[in-house]
Amino acid sequence: MTTEMTPQTTASIPRIEIPPVIRELGLDKQNRAVIGRLILTGGFGFAAEGPGGRLYAQVRIPADELIWQPSVIIMPHEGELELELINDDDNDHAAFLPSNGDFQWIHLVQHSRGSATLSLDGPGCYWFGSPYGNDEGRGLVGVIAVLGETPPQARLDRPPQPRP
Amino acid sequence: MSYISAGRAIPLSTLSGVVGSAPPVAQNVTFERILEARTKEPHNWLTYYGAYDGQRFSPLDQINTQNVSRLRPAWVFQFGTIGIMAGASTYAFEATPIVVDGVMYVSGWDGWVWALDAKTGKELWRYKHASPFDITLCCGNVNRGVAVAKGKVFLATLNARLVALDATTGKQLWSRPFGDVRAGESATVAPLVVKNLVIVGSSGGEFGNRGHLDAFDIDTGEHVWRTYTVPKPGEPGSETWPAEGEPWARGGGNCWVTGTYDPELNLLYWGTGNPSPDFDGTVREGDNLYTDCVIAVDADTGKIRWHYQFTPHDVWDYDSTMECILFELDGQKLLGHFDKNGYFFVLDRTNGKLVRVAPFADRINWGQIDASGKVTVLVAPKEGEEVHFWPGPAGAKEWTHAAYSPQTGLFYVPLQEVGARVMLRRRMFKENIPYWGAHVLTDTEDIYGAIKAVDPRTGNEVWRWRNDHPMCASVLATGGGLVFAGAPTGEFYAFDARTGDVLWQFQCGSGHHSSPISYMVDGKQYIAVPVGWGAWREGFDPKALGVPPGNALFAFALPD
Repeated sequence: MTTEMTPQTTASIPRIEIPPVIRELGLDKQNRAVIGRLILTGGFGFAAEGPGGRLYAQVRIPADELIWQPSVIIMPHEGELELELINDDDNDHAAFLPSNGDFQWIHLVQHSRGSATLSLDGPGCYWFGSPYGNDEGRGLVGVIAVLGETPPQARLDRPPQPRP
Repeated sequence: MSYISAGRAIPLSTLSGVVGSAPPVAQNVTFERILEARTKEPHNWLTYYGAYDGQRFSPLDQINTQNVSRLRPAWVFQFGTIGIMAGASTYAFEATPIVVDGVMYVSGWDGWVWALDAKTGKELWRYKHASPFDITLCCGNVNRGVAVAKGKVFLATLNARLVALDATTGKQLWSRPFGDVRAGESATVAPLVVKNLVIVGSSGGEFGNRGHLDAFDIDTGEHVWRTYTVPKPGEPGSETWPAEGEPWARGGGNCWVTGTYDPELNLLYWGTGNPSPDFDGTVREGDNLYTDCVIAVDADTGKIRWHYQFTPHDVWDYDSTMECILFELDGQKLLGHFDKNGYFFVLDRTNGKLVRVAPFADRINWGQIDASGKVTVLVAPKEGEEVHFWPGPAGAKEWTHAAYSPQTGLFYVPLQEVGARVMLRRRMFKENIPYWGAHVLTDTEDIYGAIKAVDPRTGNEVWRWRNDHPMCASVLATGGGLVFAGAPTGEFYAFDARTGDVLWQFQCGSGHHSSPISYMVDGKQYIAVPVGWGAWREGFDPKALGVPPGNALFAFALPD
């Protein structure tokens, strides 16, 4: 059963533009430079931090773009992410989302809006995607990038080492 | 514009046949039960090696030399992969399943754990640890198994956390970090429960970190001790590292395979990995303790009581992480270890003194080890010129395990006869970047493998079964007079433990790189083996790089 809802912004997500060369080549459009759209060309978004360190972010599927916008959601630290997902497309999609315990799954029919709570416990890049048809190959692949360091008690007892 | 509510995301397992809970059989799995796992509970496989001694011997004899030819699949559990994951083309099913009173707990690749009905294969619950796809992995997206005790299932995750799960539901109870993913650390080890501790080691010796073992309290997850396998300046063993600079801080020696345990001595026997960089010894002059060692560790404190180094100043990537099998001979408490360097060592496990050393590989040219344990190096990597040595960096035996049968008094070892050409190439250390110090070209011709029976009294070969491919999976010995082992090309074999005759085989469809077990439910004996080819194939069997990857767990039994 579905109900109508009014869209709300759950987080302030400043977006970072993708490199101009991708636009110039047309890799940021479906069926232009290549068949689909180059993955991860839906921009970057920062999760906002709420009370108690809980993080909030929003991701949309724009009409006929087959892309997550933003494609890269940046969590400033590990923890729980409250993610709002909005499908603005005229086609149905869905999402597999990473979370400790199990993948989370949500069906996003056209013009729908849902949410997920995701638990991610360390720095690194975590995949998410839409399993419909070849949504993933066409561009509906995203990354949740968790920033931060390993807690001090787990680090090696050694002097700071050079990084690349 | 208005939107239809899509609701909230739900766990994927709710859209499957998974039951959601397992019988509370793990509630009463205690240290005391694990101590007597083989003698009092042969129907179970309670700990990584089946028992603390690491023998990988099941006394079950319903399946035996007379009837094994009638063995057939009882059930198969498959899973597959979802989405983009770390080392996507390297994942393998390497685990040892644990079985407690009809429930099997087994880990897979990329943070999966499943509880299965050991009689039917039905999935009871599942757990997924969300694993970053950019985690630093040496040799594949793998995990070697879980530990079970006091109602909990323990998993070491790719991102170097120890996670405790509720054994009845699979829900996470606590999670503790024990490695630094930014320092190239990860975890693939099966945890070991001893007393009220759960013990894990780190992976990452190819990235110039500093190996360590960590112990946590089973109940609370409190960190109890950490033992580094490379000493700091001034600590015992530090004299085997250069006095200047920080090679010790990048020295490797990671403990990425489960140890064994002698309860009378209260000693853990844990193998340590290669020094870093793997092949460039010029930056780490000295023996480089405690790399390529067995360390005897006080289980209560983590203190190293003694050590034996199998390959001093290793420049061939000869980890010694693989099992140390505890056995008795003529009243002597011994330890048997097949090393990557091609030699079989028998030590007095009370003090680490060498009792016997003998080659088990056919071709060894990197060096010689005489009866006293003295090592003479013959071939070592050079700058500007490739050298060829046997065994290659994957070793004459990889991490996969040998077995010991107290019934026959023989060891059974999987053999890899693969050499390599290596040229030293120096490089600067940068954290979390591979730190090998060489280029490596593993042989693709003139390679083979075998299952060998070895007499620990002499170190001599008793029988062998030769295979065109190296044998890269663990061996299981049983009370039915059988030895089981899988091949890279998918065949799973049963051998006569006394003669080496092949008595049965089954094509599993993917290569074997795991550890088979045996257990019994409702009076029926099963042989279970995870099957899924992957990991560092170009190292241990480059001729099998194209073998189909897979992810199935087979359970075999006799017909009713």
